[in-house]
Amino acid sequence: MSGVALYAALVAFGFLAGAAAGLLGIGGGLMIIPFLTLVAGASQHQAEATSLLVILPTAIVATIALRRKGIGDAALALRIGALGAAGGVIGALVAIALPAHVLRLVFAVFLAAVAVRLLRDGLTTTQTGVEA
Amino acid sequence: MTIGGAGGLLSGLLGVGGGLIMVPLLVFWAGYRQRDAHAMSLGAIIPISLASVITFGAAGQVRLGYAIALTLGSIVGARVGVGFLARIGERPLKIAFGLLAAAASILLFLQ
Repeated sequence: MSGVALYAALVAFGFLAGAAAGLLGIGGGLMIIPFLTLVAGASQHQAEATSLLVILPTAIVATIALRRKGIGDAALALRIGALGAAGGVIGALVAIALPAHVLRLVFAVFLAAVAVRLLRDGLTTTQTGVEA
Repeated sequence: MTIGGAGGLLSGLLGVGGGLIMVPLLVFWAGYRQRDAHAMSLGAIIPISLASVITFGAAGQVRLGYAIALTLGSIVGARVGVGFLARIGERPLKIAFGLLAAAASILLFLQ
């Protein structure tokens, strides 16, 4: 894909990734990075750097919209994120020292447990939790 | 506060978004409702991604044209997604995030 078609596809895919990010509370890198490498032909490093540049305005727009709707606590979220930014620097340094495939496996197991728990909670009809 | 640290740590370690770890921690550990956890995660992603943009952006690897095209779509999409988030029930939202976690887990296993 090249030229106008590629850019049109990028705008369309950006819309889908942004909608998923706004609904699911994620950045969207999980979707954007593979799209950039597989469809747009970017290198892994280019895809990661470009994805981060898209995530930032997406999260800002989502947070402003949420604040207007009175959902969540933007000030507290920003403070949590500031600590996260510090954690990110430490994480990047640790990543250099640790084998990446071990980290990926640990995180994959964590996410599998999260999936099982949430799907069970979401699908159980006898759940006593408060329904919104 | 630990949640932000953990989110950022994992984001830096694995190159994945902090949201995938912050949302579960906010729900299971901090006891947030699913909807509020998603909102908090999005807010927390702002400083995390800002720090990463400054760090990685300096390397000059950004494809600016691609970033602009994706952002044009995603800022419109984000408003639509947030609109869904405001209306969806807790249980469908748990199922949606559960499916995302399952898909991400499989992707990580396959890598």
